[in-house]
Amino acid sequence: MTAPRSVLIVGESLAGTTAARHLRTLGHTGPVTIIGAEEEGAYSRPPLSKAVLKDPAADQSLGLSLDGLDIGVIRSAAVAGDPRHRTVTTADGRRIGYDALIVATGADARRLAAPGQRGELVLRTLDDARLLRDRLADAATAIVIGAGFLGMEVASACAARGIPVTVVDTDRPLRRILGDHLSAALTARAAAYGIRFVQATGFAALTGDPVHGVLLPDGTELSADLVVTCAGEVPCVDWLAGTGLADRLGVGVDDACATTVPGVFAAGDVTYLRGNATRPHRRAPFWSNAVAQGRAAAASALGLPPSGPSQDDYFWTEVAGLSVKIVGNLPLLGEPATVEGSVVEGRALLTWTRADGTATAVAYGRRQPVTALRQLAATSGSCRAATNPPHRAPQQAVQEHRADSVHRR
Amino acid sequence: MKISVDYARCEGHGLCADQASGVFSLDDDAELTYHFEGAEVPEEHQQASRAAVDACPVAALRVLS
Repeated sequence: MTAPRSVLIVGESLAGTTAARHLRTLGHTGPVTIIGAEEEGAYSRPPLSKAVLKDPAADQSLGLSLDGLDIGVIRSAAVAGDPRHRTVTTADGRRIGYDALIVATGADARRLAAPGQRGELVLRTLDDARLLRDRLADAATAIVIGAGFLGMEVASACAARGIPVTVVDTDRPLRRILGDHLSAALTARAAAYGIRFVQATGFAALTGDPVHGVLLPDGTELSADLVVTCAGEVPCVDWLAGTGLADRLGVGVDDACATTVPGVFAAGDVTYLRGNATRPHRRAPFWSNAVAQGRAAAASALGLPPSGPSQDDYFWTEVAGLSVKIVGNLPLLGEPATVEGSVVEGRALLTWTRADGTATAVAYGRRQPVTALRQLAATSGSCRAATNPPHRAPQQAVQEHRADSVHRR
Repeated sequence: MKISVDYARCEGHGLCADQASGVFSLDDDAELTYHFEGAEVPEEHQQASRAAVDACPVAALRVLS
């Protein structure tokens, strides 16, 4: 296959900038253009729910750089794609041609406000984080809707400032992703830290205009100075309407980050890995996955085999000051084996082994480099893998996947 | 090219060492060592180092031109 002459990347995200850099690393000397909607350019989002909420100085430290790579940058949102004629149109009226396209537009915060209802707070962009920081400064009470990773991080930020905070969700904190064992431990920890949890029987509605509370299905109404929606993310695919590239889950890709349309590849939070007979469709909007996919999409766009894994299942969160780092498949069902330490004491190394021979390794409240965690997951699973058929583990079904992904882009 | 490391911000994820193993390494307790502290990053490591800077999820690494 001949290498394409020009590569267009849509989305100045971690996946997009990683792809741009990797194109050059792989020796591509032709034109590379990146289209980004945000004025600031590319920046790192994991600190938004932590460092940025604490300290305005952190705002200036988040930039992802494209220096020295000879990349053309267009600061305007992509509004339409035409894969047949290989062009993308931007909000400022430009039409940009390409030989290969990498879609990396990421995802947006899911919102719950009714049409016209003002003042809903979410946390996805630097502007969102700045606004939330300002509001935290004079809030006396807070409500967080959604007990996933982002919801628990935002609640932790409130509690750390001494703001009483209530988290509302239909399921127990982090249970969908981390399973009962860690959910119970982290919920207890959060409670001791000043985070109150209310389990709702169904969807909660935002009340007030501007928003000042939440109405639960049983008629209970809670109100607070600050109400933050942390209800997951929605892939940014509106601009791909009519192209056949995207559906409700995002842009479907294969293991090489190729879409179903020739010449079009995709990476990061906008994607889902297409399922097959042995695995369901799977979204994995995590930081490390965006890096792995950005590299894989760059290689594929050049017609080269991937130079490394095209997926990465490392992710982490922090609840009430305690970090949880994970390598492997989800969710974590049943009880773990404790390799070291104890969950009760707040410092442990754990593994979950599945019947198919795969294992997931967790560093709970403990610093552990990702390489060591990967190794632990690999060795914990291998002994059983040797005696079992090597078919793939069923991945977490997308329907269950309501994790946010501030961390993982 | 020089790189600054904010050790206070480092959480020991080790994703930098994933990208540039000759430039960054972590011990068993996830304490980071940057091998070119105060020095220029050698030419052959620069591309990987830039990838490592971007891969740091807590923005603890910065390229100083």
